[in-house]
Amino acid sequence: MSRAAPGTGAVAGRWPAGRAVGVGALIVLVVLAVLPLLGGTSNATLLTLTLMLTSIGVAINWNLTGGFTGYVDFGHAVWFGIGAYATAILISLQSNGPQVGWPPVPAILVGALVAGFLAAIIGRATMRLKGPYFSIAMLGTFVAVREIVRVWSPLTGGGVGLTLPPYLNRALFYYVELALVTVLVVGTWWLRRTRFGAALVAIREDEVGAETRGIDTTRLKTAVFSFAGLSTGLFGALWAYQNTFVDPDIAFVEVRTIDAVMGTMLGGLGTVAGPVLGAAALYWVRELLWTHLLDAHLLAQGVLLIVIVLFVPRGLVGLVDRRGTSLFELWGWKGWSRGLRQGPVAGGEAEAAS
Amino acid sequence: MTALLEARGVVKRFGGLTAVDGVDISVGTGEMVGLIGPNGSGKTTLFDCLSRVQTIDAGSIRFDGVDIAGRRAHDVARLGMSRTFQLIRVYRDLSVAENMHLSIQWGSIGVPQLFARTDAATRRRADELLDFLLLGPLRHERAGNLSGGQRRLLEIGMSLMSEPRLVLLDEATSGVNPSLVADIADRLREVNTQRQVAFLLVEHNVQFVADLCERVVVLDQGAVLAEGTPGEVTQDPTVIEAYFGDPGDAGEDAP
Repeated sequence: MSRAAPGTGAVAGRWPAGRAVGVGALIVLVVLAVLPLLGGTSNATLLTLTLMLTSIGVAINWNLTGGFTGYVDFGHAVWFGIGAYATAILISLQSNGPQVGWPPVPAILVGALVAGFLAAIIGRATMRLKGPYFSIAMLGTFVAVREIVRVWSPLTGGGVGLTLPPYLNRALFYYVELALVTVLVVGTWWLRRTRFGAALVAIREDEVGAETRGIDTTRLKTAVFSFAGLSTGLFGALWAYQNTFVDPDIAFVEVRTIDAVMGTMLGGLGTVAGPVLGAAALYWVRELLWTHLLDAHLLAQGVLLIVIVLFVPRGLVGLVDRRGTSLFELWGWKGWSRGLRQGPVAGGEAEAAS
Repeated sequence: MTALLEARGVVKRFGGLTAVDGVDISVGTGEMVGLIGPNGSGKTTLFDCLSRVQTIDAGSIRFDGVDIAGRRAHDVARLGMSRTFQLIRVYRDLSVAENMHLSIQWGSIGVPQLFARTDAATRRRADELLDFLLLGPLRHERAGNLSGGQRRLLEIGMSLMSEPRLVLLDEATSGVNPSLVADIADRLREVNTQRQVAFLLVEHNVQFVADLCERVVVLDQGAVLAEGTPGEVTQDPTVIEAYFGDPGDAGEDAP
């Protein structure tokens, strides 16, 4: 055990820059909020920033199940696709010719609810599995749903997809997504300090132990999985509307899940700031690679993933905030993570409450 | 004495192996019962069945008059039965205090409390228990950093945090420094006397069991071999043959 003097663990291990991080986050938020008001911010820039916020939002949602609860979901993008398609179907509804489609706002909200509802049903079944088995089951779910969408032509338009009426107010989409990401970050920060958040970490740490101590693990993990599905479905719904077109190959993209996993791993699994920083960094790294290294950008991303896994398995935030975890630990490969779990607990519910 | 826990004809099979074979066992309110037996006799599997970590293949289990055979583990915990594990289960990445805060009586937690922070009363109770178990100075330490014996004490503290009526202790003294064993015994006796908490103890330390328990159940090959006072079972020839091996070992720590 560490050599910290009794009772000093929390003080010694507490992230001393916690308040500074909060102030820094607020400054970034203000800068992002005033950006569209400045002259010279093009629609292309706003679209790029909106897509980055989408990546961050999906990563935050993925981190709720993958990082906090310990269920590494390799099919998370399925909720994005379902949200996108449900919204697109509702908006483009037709009845013998005349358009009877829903207005965008209710269509987007219902699209997200459909994703959340299906996540509750599918999560209830798949979360009986543990570790890599759950991950593979979710990957299978993702592929199966995409194929269902592809062949269910009367409803989904099949491989041809669905076209939506254009609505090209980029600033509006940008602000909506910025607000959503802000709410998610604050919500995750707050959740981590509640009994619910602590119970999720307990499930990640030892599900049998949590269950025998009275935590209804099935209910809590299904709840968080459903919320993550709903929230990612909301980003999918917004994306569909601003993209004005959906088809199976652009709504259900594996890379969206990979980005969420990689971004969260880069930032720090199971931390609040990890998916935000990681997804944002990954987004810009990808843009740079795409621009300057077109022929080998996928190779470079693969190398980046290997570097993260081998050298910063707990991510960048995990270097200073030891409350996170790593893929090795989640999948029980303890030998790989030897030496990662040293030192006192930094921050957290007990300390925050004191 | 009223039976708080009453298990009848409990059977648990793993494929062709019958780990628990028609066991009858009861624990009264406020009673301390020992459960001993050689390695592989089914003690821990029986604990798993009683706490619903494992399903049972036959038999019945009633806790405080409620049939719990079909209940899930968290339901049983909420009814007032807590347990520790042979292989210690604490939340290694959380602080000692957080481990305690997560071991509350979850049955009393509604949705508003679920989305609230740990209340002052819970923190106070956790601190009292940690002090009681000599872990007070380590309350902010990461649980994974504790020694094996300290983790064992923490797990006992977690099992007491929910104010249970019955605690199943699985090898509570295993890996614990001998100087701490007497402390653990004192603390269990105190909890038992002051709060009428019943204990069912799986132990290889027969002296520990004899000091604490009025009644001891001996398991062998999944079945009850003998039952009686510590003095009776340690003198029972069948127990001596099955468990102690050599009559001279009776009353000493089992191998």
